[in-house]
Amino acid sequence: MRPAAIIGTGQTDHAKSRDDVSQPELVREAASRALADAGLRPSEVDAIIIGNMEMFEGRALPELWVGEGGFANRKPCLKIATGGTSGTSSCIAGFHQAASGVFDIVLVVGFEKHSEGQTQTGMALTDPFWDRGVASGALGNFALSISQYMAERGVTPEQAARVAVKSRRNAAKNPHAHLKDANATVADVLASKVLAHPVRLMDMCPQSDGAAAIVVASAERAKKLCSRPAWVKAATTRHEQPYIGDIDRRLLSMRTLRDASRSVYATAGIREPLKQLDVAEIYEPVTYAELAWYEILGFCSEGQAGRLIEDGVTEIGGELPVNPSGGVLCANPVGATGVIRVAEAASQILGRAGAHQIEGAKTALVTGYGVYAWADAMILGSEP
Amino acid sequence: MTERISVQIEMNQSWRYASGAAMERFADGLRQKRIEALRCGGCGRRYLPPRPVCGNCHLHLSEWVPVADQGVVEAWTVVYLPFLDGRTGEIRKGPYGMALIRLDGADTTLNHYLAEADPTRLAVGLRARAVWRDELRGAIDDIRHFEVMR
Repeated sequence: MRPAAIIGTGQTDHAKSRDDVSQPELVREAASRALADAGLRPSEVDAIIIGNMEMFEGRALPELWVGEGGFANRKPCLKIATGGTSGTSSCIAGFHQAASGVFDIVLVVGFEKHSEGQTQTGMALTDPFWDRGVASGALGNFALSISQYMAERGVTPEQAARVAVKSRRNAAKNPHAHLKDANATVADVLASKVLAHPVRLMDMCPQSDGAAAIVVASAERAKKLCSRPAWVKAATTRHEQPYIGDIDRRLLSMRTLRDASRSVYATAGIREPLKQLDVAEIYEPVTYAELAWYEILGFCSEGQAGRLIEDGVTEIGGELPVNPSGGVLCANPVGATGVIRVAEAASQILGRAGAHQIEGAKTALVTGYGVYAWADAMILGSEP
Repeated sequence: MTERISVQIEMNQSWRYASGAAMERFADGLRQKRIEALRCGGCGRRYLPPRPVCGNCHLHLSEWVPVADQGVVEAWTVVYLPFLDGRTGEIRKGPYGMALIRLDGADTTLNHYLAEADPTRLAVGLRARAVWRDELRGAIDDIRHFEVMR
């Protein structure tokens, strides 16, 4: 493999509903912005990857329908669908294509238009013999494993609420975020309605309409086209057993995410994540998961996640800002959500993150997470 | 500006899935209130519901072992948000209790409903037992729900 880097990113302004555009138009919006950011014309793109969970919109073959919005006609184009990790897996596939030497410029676009379909249908159509009869979506799955996490690690609803407050405050600096509130309080979160005990409305990610894109380039093209590329230092994906009941200890151990992060840390020479990482864009579908990931990703030891959020370690200005963009809790067009994580981390390295830029960010962690079944991790850096 | 134009689509369709050898034997057992797990010859993990392949060792599983119809609540929740039932297309209204229950004799947990929907009366570590329906037909809802043993 040869080095490859991200040289441009583009996002829509994610929202509850974008009924002013069709799915291909939504995709084109993000794709055009990424190409403009990279300083490229559509004709200069060698291959396209589309990330999307088509069951959510009830539309088959999205890569065919929206492909032209990603400028894919007469070019190689693939679709990737791996639940919540669809976006990060798409970016990693784009990286593999550029790093392998097969293509020089790869455009990756993820999108979802939840407002047009039935997200619950996409989540409910699981194993027809057992799980379908007891499925309560991502929410039910998370709520179950959170009871176990709380019982063993002593995490409190107040600590989880702090994650939601951080997220909404950060999102207020991000023009692309869907939910923003610079003045949100812990009391607001604790007063929001319970969806599934102990998860409250403000603990849970929204369903958004939106698209996000990145441009991955081979080392040679990246150096020519970009003064400060975001180099992909390491990237990996993990697949897992599909049944929540078969996963040992769930949030407490989460071997997919643990293994993926340890793998990219080893490749990128990260021994002390909290010290060596400048910023992290992690996939936290629910506040409690962000706390669990602090432990899984090695930001703190087991049982210390609550203290990390209380001490402001992961705030903008803290030792390791986590999700300065506002994260999944503030924008969640699922097929795009992982691409957003990568685009946000890359923008930090590129120095183009705007009001939520972490000054001098050189090393960034990205994670993806698809309810138990998948986890992805990437390290981006300012040097090849 | 004129009103936005959108396309509304409604449809009813049906699907039919083969259960496979492992689930067939398991489902047949349920009709006699018999619960069986498949044990991995490599790591010894006892899968319930049975799986054809071990998620740790990738070995094909064929050793059946008996499992009790009661066990320990490893995880629980009470769901308030209405959810789509993926078998019927009907909406299931909350609140309803759910749990991951490790039945005595199994190593994985069974995802099922709880009779209890009061969060103040639920906790990790409680014991629960299956409440069977009168008419058994070899499906997940042969067990109506689990009730906490107090």
